[in-house]
Amino acid sequence: MISIILVFMPILAGLAAWPAGRKNESFRDGFVTVVSLAELLLSLLLLDSGIRASAAFKLGGILAGGLSFEADGFRTVYAIITAFMWAGTGLFSLEYFKQEREGLNRYWLFILVTLGATEGVMLSADLMTSFVFFEILSFTSFTWVIHEETEEAVKAAYTYLFVAVTGGLILFMGLLLLQHGAGTLRFDDLHEAVALAFRASGSGSPAGLTAAQGQILAGAVCILFGFGAKAGMFPLHIWLPKAHPVAPSPASALLSGILTKVGIYGILMTSLTAIAGQEAYRGFAVLILLLGAVTMVLGAVLALFSVNLKRTLACSSMSQIGFILIGIGMAVLLSCGGEEEGAGLAYAGTVLHMVNHSLIKLTLFCVAGVVVMNIHRLNLNEIRGFGRKKPLLKAAFALGGLGISGVPLFNGYISKTLLHESILEGAGLLKLAPVLEWTFLLAGGCTFAYMLKLFLCVFVEENRDPDLQKSYDRGPGQGRPYMNSCSAAVIFGSSLFMLVLGQPAVSCRLAAFMTGYEEILSFHAFSLENLKGSVISLAIGAFLYLLPVRRLLMKDGDYADLWPARLDLEEMLYKPFLFKVCLLPLSIAARILADSLDLLILLARKTILREKKRKSQKRNTFFDIRETTYLALDPIMRTFSFAMMMTCLGFLAILGILILVSL
Amino acid sequence: MLILAAILFPIIGGLLAACLPLGKDRDRRCFYGLVMAGSDLVCLLAMVYGQEIQLAALSDRVVLALGFDSFGRFFLAAVMILYTAVCFYSFEYMKMEKRGETFAAFFFISFAAMVSVCAARNLLTMYLSFEMATLSTVPLVLHERTKEAVRAGMKYLFYSVAGALMGLMSLFFVYYFSEGSGTFVPGGFVDPQAVAGREPLFLAMVFVGIVGFGTKAGMFPMHGWLPTAHPIAPAPASSLLSGIIAKAGILAVGRLVYYAVGTDLLRGSWVQYAWMILALLTVLMGSTMAFCEKNLKKRLAYSTVSQLSYMMLGMALLSRQGLEGALIHAMSHSAAKGCLFLAAGAFIYYAGIRQVKDLRGIGRQMPLVVWAFMLAALSLVGIPPMGGYLSKWKICLAALEGAPGLFAWLIPLVLLVSALLTAGYLFPLVIDGFFPGRDFHGEEGYQGGRASLVMTIPMLALCGSALAAGLFGGSIAGLVTGGI
Repeated sequence: MISIILVFMPILAGLAAWPAGRKNESFRDGFVTVVSLAELLLSLLLLDSGIRASAAFKLGGILAGGLSFEADGFRTVYAIITAFMWAGTGLFSLEYFKQEREGLNRYWLFILVTLGATEGVMLSADLMTSFVFFEILSFTSFTWVIHEETEEAVKAAYTYLFVAVTGGLILFMGLLLLQHGAGTLRFDDLHEAVALAFRASGSGSPAGLTAAQGQILAGAVCILFGFGAKAGMFPLHIWLPKAHPVAPSPASALLSGILTKVGIYGILMTSLTAIAGQEAYRGFAVLILLLGAVTMVLGAVLALFSVNLKRTLACSSMSQIGFILIGIGMAVLLSCGGEEEGAGLAYAGTVLHMVNHSLIKLTLFCVAGVVVMNIHRLNLNEIRGFGRKKPLLKAAFALGGLGISGVPLFNGYISKTLLHESILEGAGLLKLAPVLEWTFLLAGGCTFAYMLKLFLCVFVEENRDPDLQKSYDRGPGQGRPYMNSCSAAVIFGSSLFMLVLGQPAVSCRLAAFMTGYEEILSFHAFSLENLKGSVISLAIGAFLYLLPVRRLLMKDGDYADLWPARLDLEEMLYKPFLFKVCLLPLSIAARILADSLDLLILLARKTILREKKRKSQKRNTFFDIRETTYLALDPIMRTFSFAMMMTCLGFLAILGILILVSL
Repeated sequence: MLILAAILFPIIGGLLAACLPLGKDRDRRCFYGLVMAGSDLVCLLAMVYGQEIQLAALSDRVVLALGFDSFGRFFLAAVMILYTAVCFYSFEYMKMEKRGETFAAFFFISFAAMVSVCAARNLLTMYLSFEMATLSTVPLVLHERTKEAVRAGMKYLFYSVAGALMGLMSLFFVYYFSEGSGTFVPGGFVDPQAVAGREPLFLAMVFVGIVGFGTKAGMFPMHGWLPTAHPIAPAPASSLLSGIIAKAGILAVGRLVYYAVGTDLLRGSWVQYAWMILALLTVLMGSTMAFCEKNLKKRLAYSTVSQLSYMMLGMALLSRQGLEGALIHAMSHSAAKGCLFLAAGAFIYYAGIRQVKDLRGIGRQMPLVVWAFMLAALSLVGIPPMGGYLSKWKICLAALEGAPGLFAWLIPLVLLVSALLTAGYLFPLVIDGFFPGRDFHGEEGYQGGRASLVMTIPMLALCGSALAAGLFGGSIAGLVTGGI
């Protein structure tokens, strides 16, 4: 029952907030805040195991196969994090939107509906339910991207929508295949159904997969790409670096912190139920690892090159999604290879990194939001030195940066170490494991480098324009602080999680709760071996910062945008392919098909009836019978002799054919 | 008797609407509203309590009979929803047009024709009602009396008559291969023994019937009239034509295949293949043409061509699930496309906009209309929880489960490509309408005020019905296909 409330209360509240906001804006703001806080409190109830058990609920008879929900450790934590992110960004939005009030009604409506839909995905017990809410949130979150209505925002929104629709359709196809191949979409039954498909056909046959097994695999691949589109997985990541920077900052935090995780949720659940444990599906794990590695490195490199605060954070999100995908890939690979222990490690690392990344991005994007609401700029050269005299902001950003870079004692360290460990575990199953390991360490180094770049730029270096620097140090003036206490509480409060989750005791307990893998409690995070990985990664990062970033990516002391603008997968490949290669022939063929019969009739009229253009006559006397008769008979009478001739020709033709046949 | 009353009541109402000297605008609207409400009431009663009735029996084989089964009830429900919504919408819209009385008269007469198509109990009655529906809707296309309108009307008439005659020919053979008066039986009544040995003739004739009745549903190659005739009519009429009258073709083909011929005789035959190929071609062709089209109403008409063939595809799969998908799609498309055409009408009525590119920023002026447009578009693309999603799911799943050979993959693939195109030709319009960008200041360019509630409420109601088709369509369609 509680799942229904968690899902539908925000949706209904959003629908109510819209008319309310048209009457009274401050009432609406209060209402929205209360709703998101209530959602947080309700979601915390799930921690009680009795209530958690009662969350399993099926709303039968509607849609295709009803909506069903349930809550386990993982779902509970993500339901809580979702609500927490919404409450945090909601409180921050109160100040963020003080100046920009246009379109806020719409914004709040869609924020709340998306909250409900996200909870719907996170609590879903079958893929169909996930899909329904996934599509809803795809479309509602679209309005966040386009909210500002600048030229870039509109462009980014189109890209976002295109990827969302395409991803949704691919996902739809995946669901179809899986439903047909396995016969069920319930996560609980899926594993058994897949095992059955293997048992029924005498598993281990060297001839490859049977039809059903092939369909399950194809379905899982489609689902990977469908959900991956929302997660920002290569090659469907194109929307992410464009959409996150243009959205309002609280919305960026949600897009980056939670909506990407919605995609990950789908991938994780599908691979762990339908794929894991089947030896024959090992290739799927390799595919995830490959895509994850590309996403991880590409995101990190893009982030290094970026000179826009929010774009850097967005690319960083993409890179971190790559880390998470690697975790999933390793979990699947190890479980397909029968090494349940290693799989447990990878699984724990994955979920922990998800949690960490959500919380870190909440902090970081809110800090970016503070920058935007004060000076409305994001270019690193312009905002340089903004945070020099703002200790609280500086501390929060530093904590986030330390967390995401995986510095020991902060939260990212534990999750990254677990992921690293799992790669080492999989060395026996994957030939390229050393390559993967070094890629992993390199990407971790990049993370450190770009976070260092951001931190030093915004909080340490001085702006090159002394007047600007003075105005930054002065703040908005008239005794007003640069952010109010509510926003400060949100930002600083959320940044404290980096420290709390940096404690192995807390983190491992959390991971054990989420995955049910109790052995994780005996994991030694600070063993020498593990520290070594982190140190290597940080050393790579320091090197990257000192040499390439400071030497190559800066021109005359300014951060230079050296990423070639033409190197854009969307403009370079997707658009030409879609419009020139696919659409053009299709439209020509369609035009021919569409007019074929009409052309035939026209041809017949021109030849057999020899219809000519008549001088313009008044045609609006349609119901005049004489006129009509005349119109109808005229061409026939006029061309009677011609018709006779054609008939004769026809007879001749028939005669000819008959003669030919009789011969 | 009730069923007969349900047909006669709107006819009489329509004739009165044409003849009664109702001077004032308000009186006229009152009268139309009353006739519509009365017709709905009688129809509802007929649906629930209507006894089967035999009108005439020229011989024991040529019988005119009316009566409802679940299939007929299902379509009648769709007819009633759309006609009622359009009736209220046209109160406002028809202020713009001349000859409102004629329009009202044929509006109600065509309603009666549609009721009788739904209520037909045997093939012959269905054929007669089908022709009646064609003839009574031609004046709706002709309404503007411009040169193009007359030409489009004639095209509509010729195509429809040609199609119906093909259908009639196939009926003769269906009667020839069976006994009795051709009363519909779930699963078909054609005698397999009579067919045995003469399959080629029989299958060819069934195919002619499918193509013939498919003319009304705009199936390639007989689709040519649809994109010409639908956009030329006044918006309420286009909404009816696309929304429900084209569904008469679906109904007729459904009756022919599922209630007369029976699926067993067709399964795996060349007729099924040809039917699926034609439907697939139409789906792709319609979507692509709609994507390339600049005129809004014409774009919607091409979209109808494509969407109607989704239903054809569903039926061509000859399985229960496929038929369910087709029925749900009929329901949701009827509501969604009806709503889209009504919205297109509102753009014409208030802002005089017919071209897609001029719609930029329209959402600021009539937010509710664009909202309705968006919800209907979501349904058409197949985004859950709107109706189009459920029907697509069922059709694709039926294809994976039952379609022969390559088609099992081809059908879902084509439907998804078509859905992508659908998104491509509908969503940008909504986005530009709501989010014209910062530099847009064209609001003063539009005349007229906000859209009146008389127009927007029917649209939103139709969206609600598309949503209901998604939520409850499965169980409703399950009732209809129970016997098949």
